[in-house]
Amino acid sequence: MRRHRAWAAAPAAGVALALLAACGGGSTYGGGTGKNPTVSTVFTYDTYTQVMVDGWDPATEYSNGIIAMSNMYETLTRYNPVTKEVGPLLATSWSHSANGLTWTFQLRHGVHFHTGRLMTAQAAKAAILRTKKLNGGAAYIWGAVKSIDTPSQDRMVFHLSYPSPLALEASADYSAYIYDTQAAGTGSLTKWLNTPHDAGTGPYTLQSWNNGQEFEVVLKDFPGYWGGWKALHYKKVVFRVVPQDTTAAQLLRAGQVSFVEQMSPTQWKSLQGASGIRLVSSPSWQNLLAQLNTPALSRPIRQAISYATDYRGIAAALGGAAVESSGIVPAGLFGHFSNLPSYSYDPAKAARLLNSVGYGPGKKKLNLTLSFTAGDSNEQVVATLLKSSLAKLNVNLSVQSLAWATQWSKGKSASPRTRQDIFMEYWWPDYADPYSWFVNLLLTEKQPFFNLSYYSNPALDKQINSVESLVATNSAAGSALYRTMQVEILKQAPIVFLYNTNYQYAMTNKFSGFQVNPAYPNVIFAYSLKP
Amino acid sequence: MLVFAARRIALAFVVVVGVIVVTFIVAHVVPGDPAATWAGPHASASQIVQARKFLGLDRPLAVQLVSYLGGVASGNWGVSIHTHRSVLSDLLTAAPPSLELVITALVLAIVAGIPLGLLSARRPGRPADQAIRAGSILGISMPIFWMALILQLVFSQRLKWLPAAGEYSPSLLFTHPLVRRTGFPVIDALISGNLPMLGSTLKYLILPAIVVAAYPAGLIARMVRAQVLDTIGETHILNARALGFGEWQIFGRFAMKLAWTPVAAAIALVFGYSLVNTFLVESIFDWPGLGSYAAASISTLDTPAILGVTLFVAVAYVVANLVVDVVQAAIDPRIRLR
Amino acid sequence: MIETPTITPPKAAIPRGAMWRGLRANPLLAVGGGVVLLIVIVAIFAPLVAPFPADAGTATHPFEVLKAPSAAHWFGTDQVGRDILSRVMVGARVSPVIAVIVLALACLVGIPLGVAAGFLGGWVDEVIMRVTDVFLAFPPLLLALALAAVLPASLTSLTIAIAAVWWPWYVRLLRGQAASVAGRPYVEACRALGISRLSIIFRHILPNSITPVLVQVSLDVGGVILTASALSFLGLGAQDPVPDWGLMVAEGQNYFTPDWWLVTFPGLAILVTAFAFNLLGDGLRDLFDPRRSFLR
Repeated sequence: MRRHRAWAAAPAAGVALALLAACGGGSTYGGGTGKNPTVSTVFTYDTYTQVMVDGWDPATEYSNGIIAMSNMYETLTRYNPVTKEVGPLLATSWSHSANGLTWTFQLRHGVHFHTGRLMTAQAAKAAILRTKKLNGGAAYIWGAVKSIDTPSQDRMVFHLSYPSPLALEASADYSAYIYDTQAAGTGSLTKWLNTPHDAGTGPYTLQSWNNGQEFEVVLKDFPGYWGGWKALHYKKVVFRVVPQDTTAAQLLRAGQVSFVEQMSPTQWKSLQGASGIRLVSSPSWQNLLAQLNTPALSRPIRQAISYATDYRGIAAALGGAAVESSGIVPAGLFGHFSNLPSYSYDPAKAARLLNSVGYGPGKKKLNLTLSFTAGDSNEQVVATLLKSSLAKLNVNLSVQSLAWATQWSKGKSASPRTRQDIFMEYWWPDYADPYSWFVNLLLTEKQPFFNLSYYSNPALDKQINSVESLVATNSAAGSALYRTMQVEILKQAPIVFLYNTNYQYAMTNKFSGFQVNPAYPNVIFAYSLKP
Repeated sequence: MLVFAARRIALAFVVVVGVIVVTFIVAHVVPGDPAATWAGPHASASQIVQARKFLGLDRPLAVQLVSYLGGVASGNWGVSIHTHRSVLSDLLTAAPPSLELVITALVLAIVAGIPLGLLSARRPGRPADQAIRAGSILGISMPIFWMALILQLVFSQRLKWLPAAGEYSPSLLFTHPLVRRTGFPVIDALISGNLPMLGSTLKYLILPAIVVAAYPAGLIARMVRAQVLDTIGETHILNARALGFGEWQIFGRFAMKLAWTPVAAAIALVFGYSLVNTFLVESIFDWPGLGSYAAASISTLDTPAILGVTLFVAVAYVVANLVVDVVQAAIDPRIRLR
Repeated sequence: MIETPTITPPKAAIPRGAMWRGLRANPLLAVGGGVVLLIVIVAIFAPLVAPFPADAGTATHPFEVLKAPSAAHWFGTDQVGRDILSRVMVGARVSPVIAVIVLALACLVGIPLGVAAGFLGGWVDEVIMRVTDVFLAFPPLLLALALAAVLPASLTSLTIAIAAVWWPWYVRLLRGQAASVAGRPYVEACRALGISRLSIIFRHILPNSITPVLVQVSLDVGGVILTASALSFLGLGAQDPVPDWGLMVAEGQNYFTPDWWLVTFPGLAILVTAFAFNLLGDGLRDLFDPRRSFLR
């Protein structure tokens, strides 16, 4: 879960696919040479923050860069939101042994890297092993892999140390890319990639990177793409950085961008009925969490905070972008239950809990600090509402807005005194599975990484470490274990589950084939669109 | 003249050194850990220590200052903690769009401000004067970020007269791509003979330039008015009148010449002020200049970059002042005696 | 906000009625002064007069977010349902108070330094002026921005950052005053008579400086307010829920096009306040400059 992705709601600058000039420009301004009579071939994705901040290495990317990378790189499998299963991509078929410890993948023929080399099982193996070795991004998805055999050019055999849904993991949106490890020859691959170059197999390849400028990344079609270009596809993909929400909406109205990644809910609603614009609202697997500092805050206080949160108020204030959560796992994923003993807004109960430990109305004042990601207007609204409800309970919440990198490094700092009491961030799974929440947010960590409630529950750890293999062998038991774990987590309240995100996308209606894929948040596979 | 120029340059140099020292002190008051940011989110504790060594942050402050001073002189302004590139090269990429915006705004301000100031001084106390005075005060009281939002709404979205944001029309990105040589979009379009792009860059420049020009225009109008009114009673003007020169001639030839002095001084002043003002509007107009760079550096606590931007703008300001002073002295000998 | 201070000519005796005549003849001063007075009154009585005073604090109303201006909420509500009119009214306390503190600090630091430089001359003058030059080399918002960026964001940091940038102007102003007085024959006579320097400062220099300082301060208030709101707009000053106008514009810009009232009213408040203070400053300058008054 790339928390790196500050979900800057504000800048939702329309990702508008700037179907530039290509499409007769619609209402584009500024001296275009004239109408291009054919269909526009440029898709402009409007994002609110810099795209390539984590470097160009597909093995370690863990931030906003995947919106571009998923068009240049491909994975073995890809999640299909319609069938709710992973489908073939670079792998055409797969199977696993009865005990789930051996997985065999059949690879597609005729796939070439942008460097010209043929993608073989050996090349894929090299990529995966390198990703594992670098251990950046979401490399943990390959954690179960003990070794990989390549009996032939198009077959990979994975040997796992414990049962794990490998086909699912191979579809992850981070650290699952297959790339050409030989691209730099004898030189450093990382350096070569950061020049920048791309070593993927995807339909688009890097044309230019204009760091710091508004048209940051430009991709052009890769003629040798295995999918072919016979059908009608976009030929170029432009990623445009527009930090301002309002500006993004205006660019979308003017037809200068094709898709806006994010904007405030009212901005989105105001586009209703605007000509040439299509609005899409869709549930996601993303939720907003407030991780409570468990060593610093005792259980009564944590539960009090959980009762002091006005969940309905938050959902109302965010007008359609937020849906109340039920437990940790969002709807649509295995392990979701809608009837868990969740908290509701009950200030009286919160006051009683606080009083039981000497705080609350009429007693000592409690001072807490909260950090959220700068630029995210939704997080800001939630922080303000939380501050307000806590103020009524004699709790003074000081709110700090920080750039994501700063917020995260403060949360991970070695000295507990500089850490925040409440860490607000989004989470979404690296692949279509609930495991991600548990292994990243709740497993005991010696050095904090994403478990920013610093929660340590050895019994829970044991359960977390066994749930994957359990699911692989006995689905019903696995489901029951997920339920048990969630009930316990709700009781211990290390995390407040603020809401589940509802995607609100705005785009031009000049293309078809758009489908929201919750497994790849904010990613547009431009190749699958029909201009 | 040469002595004057030499003295001024020496003075400017001293000031620049002072600027560097002050900026350095300011930037090192910072809480937060630049070494951690440099090492990246996956770094271990030992990697952060290594990064600290690499960045030279483990040396005593005085040593860091001296080495920084030396570096600046030789063109090494440090390495950005966020982009991992030389700060100077980052600045040279980010500066031209901002400079283009400021220079255009100043031109607009002069073109609008001087005539308005003259008109206002022509008949002081009359309605035209009152209106222009009110207008200029409005200009210098305007919160620029608010004006940007409002004008963008009115002129771009409602009236659709002007584009909303960006440096040029995205439709030209592939048909007539801009070849960046100097970094100034208008100049680059001009020298590569890219006429559609030239038209586009000019068109996209209009709205942001108007917003940035409001303050300088107001200021210049006021200064021209004040200077003209101050000198209008002076003997040689009376003389000119007595000699039968018409009012407009007096204004055009004599008053204007005198009005130049404070206006020229004002230009250097507002250059610096406007350059920083652009920081406020760049995000609104999706203008990739120093402001966007500064905003990114601030939010990532990128100390070398913050230092670099501050230094760059301050030095530009000092140079602008220096140039104006020397040119003024060349024109008006009395100034050299001050 | 940066006005080169004018050097006042020798103070002529102003007849009694002239003040009132000056006011009547100077509509800008009357208007400016009137609006400033109104703002001050609003600022003082805001918590009593505002319809929803709690909204300027931590109160929120999540079920009434982003409501357009109506009879119930004249200026509409913001993204967490707070009444914007109340926040704008209470916000009238924030900017002017910052301005007062900043300018008080600027005077506190700038006046003694300026007097020392102008009156004592010599190397004292050189050193002080060079240091002043260094600070003047920074366009005002820039140094304030850099300072505010490295200090933890708060109203206090904001005030310190702006004060650090504003004091040089007062040094220059007082230096000019002190130097012009110091060179006069009657001062030399005083010195010859053995009257102490301090006495000369307090009896001649400072009284003569009141007027130009007053004029400069009133001209600067508008500038400080704009700078403070710009820094708050950038997130470097007041933090939520303080109803600082610049902060309100920053928070409202994401909702701007459909929900224009979040940005428009606080922005107008900044504009009107800065405008009024500038009018006032202009008017005062004209009032105290006999030469100018004739040209109205």
